[in-house]
Amino acid sequence: MPERVVLAIGTKKGLFVAEAAKTRGRFELRGPFGPGVAVYATLIDTRSTPRIYASSCNPFFGMKVLRSTDLGKRFKETKAAPAFPKEDGRALANIWAFETGAGKKELWCGVEPAALFRSSDGGDSWELVPGISNHEHARQWQPGAGGLCLHTILQQGSRLHLGISTGGHYLSEDGGQTFVPANQGVGAGFMPDPYPEFGQCVHKIAAHPAAPGRLYMQNHGGWAEWDGPGGPRPHIGVLRSDDHGKTWYSIAKGLPSDFGFPIVVHPHDPDAVYVMPLAPTTRTCPGGAPAVWRSENGGMSWTRLAQGLPKKQSYFTVLRDAMDMDQLKSPALYFGTTTGQLWMGRDGGEAWSCLFDALPPVHCVKTAVV
Amino acid sequence: MAQAVRVIVYVPRELRKECGGASTLALTAATVRELLCEVERCHPPLYRCICDETGAVRRHLNVFVNSMHLRDRQGLDTVLAPGDEVVIIPAVSGG
Repeated sequence: MPERVVLAIGTKKGLFVAEAAKTRGRFELRGPFGPGVAVYATLIDTRSTPRIYASSCNPFFGMKVLRSTDLGKRFKETKAAPAFPKEDGRALANIWAFETGAGKKELWCGVEPAALFRSSDGGDSWELVPGISNHEHARQWQPGAGGLCLHTILQQGSRLHLGISTGGHYLSEDGGQTFVPANQGVGAGFMPDPYPEFGQCVHKIAAHPAAPGRLYMQNHGGWAEWDGPGGPRPHIGVLRSDDHGKTWYSIAKGLPSDFGFPIVVHPHDPDAVYVMPLAPTTRTCPGGAPAVWRSENGGMSWTRLAQGLPKKQSYFTVLRDAMDMDQLKSPALYFGTTTGQLWMGRDGGEAWSCLFDALPPVHCVKTAVV
Repeated sequence: MAQAVRVIVYVPRELRKECGGASTLALTAATVRELLCEVERCHPPLYRCICDETGAVRRHLNVFVNSMHLRDRQGLDTVLAPGDEVVIIPAVSGG
């Protein structure tokens, strides 16, 4: 079968799947699956027969995990969803992240309240990962506007990086057994101490397998004008680490704002990284003119990419998991908006077109070539 | 101590697939708390839709005994009488 580009689009009202030939000429849309129920996390697992996973977190009836083995033509619930042990005292409020693990059917799942679960059978059963879920800091983490969520899971061999809002970046170097906060250089605008050990509002972390040790982070920036205790803290929002997340430094210089949610790395170039700067107070496109910004030198300088995007009167937000890039030779970047648009930027974001104009508000977008 | 009695549980349409399609369940319990334990024992998937991991009734579900909301009686400790109708209705919250 010729290669196909698949998009899994999680929205406020269910999951949609879009599919196109690799020319990306026309995307066929399927869904909604889990209609009416918000989807904050999706995963397209291409390790063997492609499987699409989606969270389906129903505020009335609780949490489900949906799974498709036919590229999103049909979805069924897995046998179980993550759940805290009864004696724990916490109740699952939302599912924020799925990622593949080391084993063939191993999956990670990040949830709200911030905790991590692992499945070794493709999502049919789940176990709490105590090293982070019961970490001594866990009861001190605070919810951000979206809730207290563990939203980023990055596995690099025996290293596991987690992003928690607001908990910060936590690192395991033993495959997820134990975790330590690793936030040196990661600022917190909303605390008197600008650089606490933990408690930062990390928005997203990204990496590339060809650059071991390098990480990019979109942190909660926008505090350059702060004049209270601790003083202003410019450029805390877009960061880079070259030592597996142990220390971080700003790469925000040249961006119109260091506030934003997603951060994405080019699939073939670890020096190419993309962000979507937003006005920090409104969290919408600065000046009503949306643009993706790209660095091709690891964050040393940035270029505005807006050809084809609206030039004015566009005040949407792009959420932390709502931007992704396919893996074709000349990859396209995709982002979904809180106003229900799905945009595609060909040639690494050089030329934008709107694929779908009136979806429900988009929470997350994942893409794969299958 | 209250005696266990036979009551009828009305299952909302959205949850009937979790209990074999049944619209009503005839169960025996002394209180609503015991009744939910019976639901958990007989229909675990249905129970997980009604209660979270802590045993609390989900925030956007309302449980009535006959026509009275649990919060207007004794909550989960509400004592059941023979033939009571326990009605589970999703709230009108949402957007």
